[in-house]
Amino acid sequence: MSHTTVKQKRTALKVARSSKTLNVSSGVFRVNQSMTKTINPSFSGKSFSSGSDSKVLDKSLAQTPKHTVQVFDEHGQDITPHPLYNPDPGVLQPKQGKIFPAHEMSWTTMTDFPSVAFQTTNASFTGPFTRSFFGSASASRTSQTAESVTDETKDFIVKPDLSSSLTDVQTRREKVKEQVREDIMDRVVDCYLTETETIWLLDIPAVSVSVDSEDAEAVKERNNAYTELCKNRQGNDKYVERSMQTFNDAPKTKEVQSDSITMVDKAVMSTTWDMYDSFCNKSDVSENTVVSAEGNKATVPDSSSMSHLLNPSGTDQSMSVFSTTSTVSGSSTHLEKMTVLPVEEEPDLELILQSDKFKQDLAMMERVVLANIFQPKLAAYRQLPVIEGDEESWTEQTKNSLSPFLEHLWAFKCELTMGRNVSSMTWNKKNPDLLAVGYGQHEFKDQKPGLVCCWSLKNPTWPDRIFHCESGVTALDFSSCNANQLAVGMYDGTIAIYNVQTAEQTPITDSSDCANMHTCPVWQLRWVDHDTGLAGEEKGEMLISVSGDGRISKWIHYKGLECVDLMKLKSPNVTINRQQWNPKILSLAPGLCFDFHPNDSKIYLAGTEEGQIHKCSYSYNEQFLETYEAHTGPVYKVAWSPFCPDVFLSCSSDWTIYLWRQDLPKPVLGFSSGQKVVFDIMWSPHCATIFGVVREGKVEIWDLRVSSLDPTIVSLTSTGVNPTVLLFTPETDCVLVGDSEGHVTVYKLKNLPAGGSTQVETLEDVIWSTLSSQHTLGKTDGSA
Amino acid sequence: MAEVEDTLKRIQGINGVIGTIVVNAEGIPIKTTLDNSTTVQYAGLLHQLTMKARSTVRDIDPQNDLTFLRIRSKKHEIMVSTDKEYLLIVIQNPAE
Repeated sequence: MSHTTVKQKRTALKVARSSKTLNVSSGVFRVNQSMTKTINPSFSGKSFSSGSDSKVLDKSLAQTPKHTVQVFDEHGQDITPHPLYNPDPGVLQPKQGKIFPAHEMSWTTMTDFPSVAFQTTNASFTGPFTRSFFGSASASRTSQTAESVTDETKDFIVKPDLSSSLTDVQTRREKVKEQVREDIMDRVVDCYLTETETIWLLDIPAVSVSVDSEDAEAVKERNNAYTELCKNRQGNDKYVERSMQTFNDAPKTKEVQSDSITMVDKAVMSTTWDMYDSFCNKSDVSENTVVSAEGNKATVPDSSSMSHLLNPSGTDQSMSVFSTTSTVSGSSTHLEKMTVLPVEEEPDLELILQSDKFKQDLAMMERVVLANIFQPKLAAYRQLPVIEGDEESWTEQTKNSLSPFLEHLWAFKCELTMGRNVSSMTWNKKNPDLLAVGYGQHEFKDQKPGLVCCWSLKNPTWPDRIFHCESGVTALDFSSCNANQLAVGMYDGTIAIYNVQTAEQTPITDSSDCANMHTCPVWQLRWVDHDTGLAGEEKGEMLISVSGDGRISKWIHYKGLECVDLMKLKSPNVTINRQQWNPKILSLAPGLCFDFHPNDSKIYLAGTEEGQIHKCSYSYNEQFLETYEAHTGPVYKVAWSPFCPDVFLSCSSDWTIYLWRQDLPKPVLGFSSGQKVVFDIMWSPHCATIFGVVREGKVEIWDLRVSSLDPTIVSLTSTGVNPTVLLFTPETDCVLVGDSEGHVTVYKLKNLPAGGSTQVETLEDVIWSTLSSQHTLGKTDGSA
Repeated sequence: MAEVEDTLKRIQGINGVIGTIVVNAEGIPIKTTLDNSTTVQYAGLLHQLTMKARSTVRDIDPQNDLTFLRIRSKKHEIMVSTDKEYLLIVIQNPAE
């Protein structure tokens, strides 16, 4: 421990003060050697350089002052402190005892300048422990007051002397190396591997000393001194007991509030179809089911009302219960949603009501509801066993009477058809439940726009299709090739073909453009199928019409309707004044009806307004094959018997019905009952001997097995109402009657004698017997 | 639209029909001829029943679907025409 003390006088102290600042600055970072050097001469020897400081403190500078800085006192003596630590590689570790003196030194007054000497020699201290003290010691050197010590200690960057010394060594080494390289490049160099010096990483000085060591005595002494000091502490004025108390600050309550946690129940049900849907659609199907399930729970009433709901009771406000908040799955509804959702609901409602599916469902529902009501009637119609039950009066009626009668089942009527005259009826060829009814007046006066209604058996209260026509409908027929085509003949001569699959009001085609159209009412229409045709003949179905202008025309439907005249119903030669009236102008007799032979579609009968029935051929349009004259009034209907190929019926406004055989010019049988105009007749499709007759005020069913004088069943209609059309049902034993009030009534034929076969022979027998009785000069009266 | 209205009126006018209700997919009645409380009750209950019935039908065969449901009770008959988007309910008293 060699100290070199530096003495300084008071004057120098002042200087030192200033130098203090300089030293501080220099001590902080850079050491300006030149600066310190310049300081030196200005100060009267008392100055010192912080050369050692620079060595210690300045790490960054590679250049460490090799040239020593000299300290001169006032007397010019060189009192340059020698570094304790020699920058040799083999220097021993510093002695540890220096710590304490340095420590003690710091506690002493700062004016004690000799303490400075310690710090300068502290270069030997290597540990970090020493570092700080060195710094503090150096601070004490520079400062006069204790206050500034702490400040300056901070400023100093204390570095171990060792590093600086090391750097010294290193620089020296480098320089040596450089010289070697330059000179001897090619020379073989001998390398000596030596052990490097020990690098100290941690050095904790021991706090205990071995008894055998040299310092043991000194240490013991010091320990004893310390224990004595501790003893002396009690009651010593130097030491004062002091207690401390930590103040506990006043506690403060602080509250934190969080929003209530809303719990929402969520459930999902997985079902087979749910998984199937998700797999097929690959869309969010399950979410919808969840939403809808939750929607059922929300019944929050709000003020959004649905004004378009039907409200017969008149409670407006109560309707608001139909809340629009069903899509909200949470607990509360927001006002925003309440205002938005009514807007969204409107299109939803409209969409549903306008969708096609809804219309279909409505129609089906209507039928289902009606079926509940009409079920017994329909069952009777279809000849199903009737369910015993509510309709007691109805069943009684059936049980009581044994004689044949017409059982009223129901009537097709609706407000549309009120007051209209039924002019024609026809069944659809493909769908036996579909009935087309044409409404139009027969008379010239009070003509009004006509109507065609397609009724379904399943809905007797409202027709499935309604077609409004410009003029009264007088003839109808369904096509058998295209079952959806309905030909309509009208009072003004127009023929239109409607497609009943859609509800469109416009027909497929119209004959009003045709040049050859009829100028008088079309009294009958028929789709005729010419299966058997000669070569060159047209095959397929054709529309044949007969009209009041005396023509029977065939209509072809290509792009429009075109017609070809089949026959002109010429008036027979009229003898006036016993002269043959051979008019140059061809006059035609209005045709009222026609009927094609069921077996041979080439032959047809035509009835005229003048009472004649002409038998014509399809392929020959010049002349009639035959003419049957018996009626004295317009022939309203001719009908071939569906079973007997030679027999046909005719009815006329002269109150009579005649049964003809086509090879006889005179009728075989005549039927008349009362003096009423006969509007319509029809053979029964089931039994050869039965035919139905519609008279003014009466509906008659004639059965020739029973009697040929009187009708078997007579059904009177209500007064003022005239039945106008008769139609048998092709499959069941019912008959439809259309009347002038617009009703189409369905009757069931009850208690008619059932026949196993079609009774063709019976009819023929009747005819034969009649004929034979005629031949025997008897009156034409058949017998059962 | 008018056609739909006409049909609904006709159904309602049929003898024995007590009421008709149209319900949307969420079980909310959108058109009705009955009073408020009855409508809500019918709509809610029948909606649930229809869901259950549809679930039953589709569980057996997922490609199948429910089209019509009829409940005959002592007093009435309830007919429900079902669809994905709506329910059409008609309550009828056929005995008149």
